[in-house]
Amino acid sequence: MSSTRAAPAPPGRRTPRKRGADGSGADQRRLTWRNRLYRFDMRYMPYLLIAPFFLIFGVFGLFPLIFNGVVSLRNYRLDDPTLPPWAGFDNFAKLLGDEDFWNALYNTFGIFLLSSVPQLLLALVVASLLNRKLRAQTWWRVGILLPYVTPLVASTMVFSVFFSRDFGMANWLLGLVGLGGDAPADWRADKFHSWIAIATMVNWKWIGYNALLYLAAMQSIPRDVYEASAIDGAGPWRQLWRITVPMIQPVVVFTVVLSTIGGLQLFTEPMLFDLNAQAATGGPNGEWQTIAQLIYKVGWKDLDLGYAAAMSWALFLIILVVAGINTLLTNRLSGGRQ
Amino acid sequence: MSAVDTVRRAADAGPPGRNRARLTGRAPQDTAAGVWTYLLLATTILLSAFPLYWMFVIATSNDEALAKIPPAVVPGDRFMTNLDEVFSLQDVYFAAGLVNSALVSTAVTASVLFFCSLAGFAFAKLRFKGSRWLMLFVVLTLTVPNQLGIVALYIVMGKLGWNGTLLAVIAPGLVTAFGVFYMRQFILNTVPDELVESARMDGATTMRVYWNIVLPAIRPALAVLGLLTFVGTWNDFQWPLITLSGTDFPTSMVAISDLASGNYVIYRRVLAGAFVATVPLLIMLVVGGRQIVRGIMEGAVKS
Amino acid sequence: MKRSWTHWARAVAVGAVSLAVVAACSGKSASGGDEAGGGAVTLKINFWGDFGLQDLKTRYEAAHPNVKIQLNSGEYNAQHEDLQKKLVAGSGAADIAAIDEGFMVQFRSQSDKFVNLLDKGAGQYESKYLPWKWKQSLSADGKTQIGLGTDVGGLAMCYRTDLFKAAGLPTERDQVSALWPTWDRFIEVGQQYTAKTNKKFLDAGTNLFNPVLGQQQTGFYSEQEQLQMEGGPKVAFDYTVKALQADISANLTSFQADWDKGFTSGAFAVLACPAWMLGHIKDTAPGTKGKWDIAAVPGGGGNWGGSFLTVPKQSKHADEAYKLLEWLVQPEQQIEVFKKVGNLPSQPALYSDPAIAEFKNPFFNDAPVGQIFPKMAQGLTPQYLGKKNGPTRVAVENVIKRVENKTLKPDAAWAEAVKEAEKAGRS
Repeated sequence: MSSTRAAPAPPGRRTPRKRGADGSGADQRRLTWRNRLYRFDMRYMPYLLIAPFFLIFGVFGLFPLIFNGVVSLRNYRLDDPTLPPWAGFDNFAKLLGDEDFWNALYNTFGIFLLSSVPQLLLALVVASLLNRKLRAQTWWRVGILLPYVTPLVASTMVFSVFFSRDFGMANWLLGLVGLGGDAPADWRADKFHSWIAIATMVNWKWIGYNALLYLAAMQSIPRDVYEASAIDGAGPWRQLWRITVPMIQPVVVFTVVLSTIGGLQLFTEPMLFDLNAQAATGGPNGEWQTIAQLIYKVGWKDLDLGYAAAMSWALFLIILVVAGINTLLTNRLSGGRQ
Repeated sequence: MSAVDTVRRAADAGPPGRNRARLTGRAPQDTAAGVWTYLLLATTILLSAFPLYWMFVIATSNDEALAKIPPAVVPGDRFMTNLDEVFSLQDVYFAAGLVNSALVSTAVTASVLFFCSLAGFAFAKLRFKGSRWLMLFVVLTLTVPNQLGIVALYIVMGKLGWNGTLLAVIAPGLVTAFGVFYMRQFILNTVPDELVESARMDGATTMRVYWNIVLPAIRPALAVLGLLTFVGTWNDFQWPLITLSGTDFPTSMVAISDLASGNYVIYRRVLAGAFVATVPLLIMLVVGGRQIVRGIMEGAVKS
Repeated sequence: MKRSWTHWARAVAVGAVSLAVVAACSGKSASGGDEAGGGAVTLKINFWGDFGLQDLKTRYEAAHPNVKIQLNSGEYNAQHEDLQKKLVAGSGAADIAAIDEGFMVQFRSQSDKFVNLLDKGAGQYESKYLPWKWKQSLSADGKTQIGLGTDVGGLAMCYRTDLFKAAGLPTERDQVSALWPTWDRFIEVGQQYTAKTNKKFLDAGTNLFNPVLGQQQTGFYSEQEQLQMEGGPKVAFDYTVKALQADISANLTSFQADWDKGFTSGAFAVLACPAWMLGHIKDTAPGTKGKWDIAAVPGGGGNWGGSFLTVPKQSKHADEAYKLLEWLVQPEQQIEVFKKVGNLPSQPALYSDPAIAEFKNPFFNDAPVGQIFPKMAQGLTPQYLGKKNGPTRVAVENVIKRVENKTLKPDAAWAEAVKEAEKAGRS
């Protein structure tokens, strides 16, 4: 925060511009209001311009993040104000022994893997399809953004009906291709089914978006890279994997980090997939309850904000670690040829 | 801008050639798409559009159509009836939700555009002490998901007495680190230093430079950032749910989740509501699709 | 320290977001809120299911032009959770909040957060209520009455005569009652039905568990707030598992869309019917009018649910809210609700009123509901429902759902139910 307080700091000795130096070099007493205004404009105006961002972000972005740490060390039970205010590390200790937390962590990772891997691979394929000379090029690109602009709440409700047990289209389609089994699949009964259903929603939503990110990177690959590879006699598929992907590696890493951050905070899909959209339990036995959902339940249904804050911190640390590992892994894998 | 230039070049490259068999040595973007490419792309688009289409089908159906196998795949004729039911539900405030979503998204978008372009301008074109560190700070906060402070945010809003009001939803969205970053990059690349300098010579104040030189130059970036911000704000769910659920002023997303969690969950209603809340964004995609595509693609190349 | 940051934050925030203020103000006007204007009072009532309030609202508003009533129906558990959240947050609760008996102990132990209705003169109604009903919403020291009772659940079984007929079962209500004097017999009848029709008999395991539990001497908690799973809950759970193993349940989740569809599609032929369930059936499956009838519940007697209306202190119009509440529980209104929706009043004097005693419900094949339910309500000895009754019930219901969807073995289910109940009691 200290850096954001820099706005009223004393003016630096180094005058910003040449003209500014001229102005201040003149006789001090002859400074007209115009000069003063000018000096103010040069020295302080930049801080005024950035001030709104830092103030608002400080109050509603940064401060809560830090204050969250304080809350996590407190007994912040909304329904029981009689508890001693400071809990020390009790909330964190409770976390380690909390089955629900580990279950939610397991679910979050399971769904994350089922969604991010196919999502990014398919996005690569779609991007390479788009990376051709196409008629009505813009419309193809706009078309694959349909899921991206569709409100998550709306699409999740559609999928929720799609994956219903008795009259769902998913079971009907499975039946058509002979995979129906003797009883209709209950998509909300176990981890396997519910994870697939939720991962489907995530994949649907983000493939097009990621494809555009990849496409942008693909198009900035210099043409001579491909020309040079002519000697190898690479077909389109090999061209994609051996030239294109390694060349767009930074963007691949970027999307991996993005999908890690997003995937580990998954909330809307598991929340609304529940038949009772406000239960926040993620199935009768927490089959698909994610950490973000558990935080919501602990904080706003059990009204234990201190514990919810501790969970948020844990989630934050996990995201950092996983994003780091993924970055390393992706660097290794996609840059394999270098 | 390189990506866009490339796109344009590729687009201008004339009709597709006939020699798609020989891919080797040719950049993919210079290779004309074949039948399979079109087919696969068309399938992708169909799969992308299907849930939206089916949402409409359910939104237009009656109960019987939903309780049968095989499921209905053709729209019914009950859209207006279903919609009427949604709007007349006293306990869901759906109409208010739509208005509120529009208000929140508009306020947030306007504010993000203004404040972020101001800060972006300062970082790109003005010299001041600490600017490098402050910019680094902005970039660092880009990577922190601010959802993680959500518990404390709720407490802060409680102290301010804003929980359950639209202010609680608007305030945290008023500025974004991404907005500042994006604006800085754009201004850095498109507004020539000489132009700023010469305006200075003529005695223009900083705000005048911003108003007369920067703003006109960054209109495309404003369109992109505006569209992305609007879409993102309109679709936001978790925080609005926490602070607005159970009140009389939900956003449309919260209102839909209310529709889906009463004692009578009727999917044709839920999805009629969902469809109405989707339409504004579909219109934005049709009108501003080019900009949204460009925004996403530029963001990728630059960051 | 805390004060100072608050002030600082407030000053900054207020200054920086003037734009937002404008938006929010217009936002308020866009809500369903104070539209009436001109000194009018808007009273918001939070409830779930069907309390039969729609017509009463119209009537009350016509008689009181300065009052506007806002009906806010939600999901059963969510409404109680939301009320708790608002009570703690200090604002946002409705002017009149309905509370079910299953959550009553939780709220009456926070009686300082509700308007004491005795202060408003509600004491005069004590003699009108079933004594246990009056006590249910009374604070521990007996000094604060937080709510006035609306209905009593009672228990009966609703069944589809057309489906029974197709399965070769009797359809006349006394004969049907005679089919199942006990729950064991009920399950056997279910097996016959299932074998004959290849369709499911019962709607859901949880909807067998709750009524059976409601028939037992003890519920989840003792009056000392000790979890006691071995008593009533064990009996109810065992019957539930037995029914699930007999494969007679459609395994739907009650109060969800597929369950609602089941009423129309005939996914099940029978379900436990407290008086308040009648309204739900009528609302969700209007097309099945005349196909239903009502028989006695196996095991005889029992109660499931029943509600109260309360006025949270947060209400800015507590006086007006009490006036409306008082009006709603008057005999005339209570009788109207009974006839319209089915909810049985908790004031025994009304049971002998011909308007109730002679009332036959046309939707349910003219079943003499005015006889069936009052008889039951008068013979009741109510169970104590602990502070954590709500979350504990949800936890055990979730275990039952796991048995239903076959992710939990029936033999392991009881141990799991105990574990989950203990966890819910702790949270």
